[in-house]
Amino acid sequence: MKTEITVIVNGVEVTREVPLRMLLVDFIRDVLGLTGTHQGCTFEGVCGACTLHLNGEAIKSCMMLAVQADGQEITTIEGIATNGELHIVQKAFQEHHGLQCGFCTSGMIMNAIEFLRVNPNPNEKEIRHALIGNICRCTGYQNIVKAISAAAAELNDSVS
Amino acid sequence: MNKQSNWIGKRYSRKEDARLITGHGEYIADISVENPLHVKFVRSSVAHAEIVSIDASAAKALPGVVAVLTGEDIKDKIKPLPTPPTLSLMPAFYPQHWPLAVGRVKFNGEPVVVIVAEDKYVAEDAAELIAVEYRELPVVTDPEYALSDQAPVIHSDMDSNEIFAMTLTGGLTEEEQTENAEKIDKIIRQADVVIKDRFRVHRCGVTPMETRGAIVQWDDRKGLRVWLTTQRPHIDRLVFADLFDIPQNRVHVSAPPDQGGAFGVKAPVYREPLLIAYLARELKRPVRWIESREEHLMAVSQERDQIHDLELAADKDGHILAIRDRAIADNGDGCEGVFWGFIMPFYGAAMVPNGYDVPNCDISIRVAVTNKSALSPARSFGTMAARFAVDRAIDMVARELDKDPADVRRANLIRDLPYDTATGVHYDKGDYVAVWDKMIAAVDLDDFRHRQEQARKEGRYIGIGFGISVHASGVASAALVPMEGQPGFGSATVKIDSGGSIQVFEGDAPQGQGHETTMAQVTAEIFGIEPGDVEVITGDTQTTPFATGTFGARGGSYTVSAIAKAALLLREKMAVVAIHDAGIDAQPEQIDFMGGKLVNSVDGSEIAGFAELADRIIMKPLEMPEGIDAGLDQTAFFEAKEPMMSFSTNAVMVEVDPDTGSFHIDRFVTGEDVGRVINPQIVEGQVHGGVVQGLSNAMFEEFIYDENGQQLSTTLENYKLANAADVPNIEIVHANTPCEHTPLGTRGMGEGTPGPVPGALCNAICDALKPFGVQITELPVRPDRIWKLLQQRKSA
Repeated sequence: MKTEITVIVNGVEVTREVPLRMLLVDFIRDVLGLTGTHQGCTFEGVCGACTLHLNGEAIKSCMMLAVQADGQEITTIEGIATNGELHIVQKAFQEHHGLQCGFCTSGMIMNAIEFLRVNPNPNEKEIRHALIGNICRCTGYQNIVKAISAAAAELNDSVS
Repeated sequence: MNKQSNWIGKRYSRKEDARLITGHGEYIADISVENPLHVKFVRSSVAHAEIVSIDASAAKALPGVVAVLTGEDIKDKIKPLPTPPTLSLMPAFYPQHWPLAVGRVKFNGEPVVVIVAEDKYVAEDAAELIAVEYRELPVVTDPEYALSDQAPVIHSDMDSNEIFAMTLTGGLTEEEQTENAEKIDKIIRQADVVIKDRFRVHRCGVTPMETRGAIVQWDDRKGLRVWLTTQRPHIDRLVFADLFDIPQNRVHVSAPPDQGGAFGVKAPVYREPLLIAYLARELKRPVRWIESREEHLMAVSQERDQIHDLELAADKDGHILAIRDRAIADNGDGCEGVFWGFIMPFYGAAMVPNGYDVPNCDISIRVAVTNKSALSPARSFGTMAARFAVDRAIDMVARELDKDPADVRRANLIRDLPYDTATGVHYDKGDYVAVWDKMIAAVDLDDFRHRQEQARKEGRYIGIGFGISVHASGVASAALVPMEGQPGFGSATVKIDSGGSIQVFEGDAPQGQGHETTMAQVTAEIFGIEPGDVEVITGDTQTTPFATGTFGARGGSYTVSAIAKAALLLREKMAVVAIHDAGIDAQPEQIDFMGGKLVNSVDGSEIAGFAELADRIIMKPLEMPEGIDAGLDQTAFFEAKEPMMSFSTNAVMVEVDPDTGSFHIDRFVTGEDVGRVINPQIVEGQVHGGVVQGLSNAMFEEFIYDENGQQLSTTLENYKLANAADVPNIEIVHANTPCEHTPLGTRGMGEGTPGPVPGALCNAICDALKPFGVQITELPVRPDRIWKLLQQRKSA
């Protein structure tokens, strides 16, 4: 069974026919070829590598079907730089060595961007708790926390 | 070398990151080939059984299904495993098996049927339609039972379930070993203090965030094209060539440019990718297998799982006199190329003495086949259980003697390095006491003991615990050939082009270690250019020199040394040509390479531009100096004269609630000797990650098999990994001694990091609970275990 869906992905409207049972993560990766969104667990929503933004909210794209996204707006890791300028959170991850293998990084960054929108002045404890849905195996989280903390400060500077 | 260090030791921002933070990494699942077939394995739902029948008719009839194969279908068409390149030279049993179970299944998760379909969803549908009838056999899940005469023998080509056994001390003959054992026995009987206990580390490992995968194409003319999650593409090439009886030059293996972690898990030769290659050749279509997390947790990533019956004898001052250790490892089915599940526990037994001066040892190990998945390597490679046992025993000695565990530990650190352990392991130069003292200063032990005393008066229980680790930084051929049947040398090709930019080719396959950055820093340093002008190409058998792979912290010891050797040869050649062209009287070593120029260090005069000189040697090789050929490509190999070891110490501070057994880590400090540091940021990242893996192993992760051998921890819900809120920040202090037998003084680090963490943590918890006399001897350590131990002490 297939149906047609229309979604706005990284600012571009796309219409595709998809099987009803296709997961959103497979639609993003296999149909649209946006492979920056990763898959690290077997659709349990535990690892967070597939995190993207649906209407601005960080969600795990392995936990919903592509058809459920019909008519909505999706932003993936490929779409957060503006006019070639990296997002402050992206830059902070590089600057503070917040990644090693990079597999969890897309999900971490997508989660962190939404988190900082909700809580622009987080303390370390709040950052750590905000990350419990994203597992990293390489960094021990320390530099990820540092990167998000630094990004928060810089985002606030850029606003004021 | 240049007088000033421009790049080695700098916090140079990683070159890999630009693609990884924008979603442009290229992992196995991101590699697209035209019109691939998708694979799904049906895995055994039981732990031990005869396969009575497999009904695949419904699956075969499903539209979109291309092939369904069982063990019976392939056993006469594909060579049985092991293939010779995957054999260790150690005396052990290497059970015969096929990529799919033939006749019997031996663990819950063993591949039984393979489905090949046009679509991955259809492959999953077809898997649901496979009906396997099993006649269940008695299940062996306990390694001690497995080694007893009563246990059924799991592999029909073995006489017992003992896959490997070895006495590591005393000598090679039975007489020598018996004599040694008697000597140790006497020392233990006469010692002032003897700690005798059973220490057990559970089955856990370092599962990476990216699972395994393989994509394979067959071309009658070109041969086999393989993309594989692997730490060792050149070793894989050997195996594929052997399996299909084709020359190695018709097998092209690439590790993807990016791999989502491995930590040892992607080092073995596993059965699944071999079958994917077979399918690609048979079906004449590209075949793609991306492992699910469930499969991954069922089939691989499981390590540790050792019992150490340890006796540690000490004199009244706390000096260790002798260790007797009877270790047992629970291998699982052991059907895993290269490591066979027993190499890790073997290495763990060899490393029992750790960084302590233990003059007398009687150490032996037995490794049992059971109905579980085979142990696969995990960072700290077999040593975690031995670290845990000995570091816990030292704290127990301190308690018996009413001494501070820190003092007892320091008194036993090896002082006279180089050093040979009683188990025959050579440690190179270093200063373990300096590392230790620096860490103790950082934790301010006196102040802590004072605060501890005050806290106890207030009914609060804080404690400090320590652990240490000596771990190999790569393994030389002298040790690796007998252990794994494979060489350990480093290799690299450095190519300078006529525009003065550089490519470095290494046949290893990194998975997050940052080779593209560190290797570029080293190359840039030697040539006085920018790391941005150096591209590092890894993991492709078509372009890189033979290499044994990325594992065991060998990049910072062996690979980087081969790159340095190649680069220094090219540098000398360039200096000779520049001196010749300038018509000056100088030796090559007088020429500095700085800022893209060659400078005579005697008078500071510039004698050539780097890029111009490269162009001259490659494109205009006229009037060359006597005996100097054109061109600037150089391959070099590096074999260490002696092994190199990295050393680390841990201090953990905790607070424990004696009413509930729950605990909180207040501080975690490490002391490190990693040799000369290339990039401090990357070294720190390795330490942070390794420590958290150790904590995660100790506190959360556990592969659980029930009495029927059913694996109950096949999702990340059940197999819990530490998250950001679970762990502390890690503080690091360094007391580095440059390695004397690598060209740059570097040594690899990071492999051993998780090993001492559980022991240090448990020592801290026991130190906090000293008034209650609690001794933790088994992992994982969770509040329920601590609470139970507290109740036992209260009722005792």
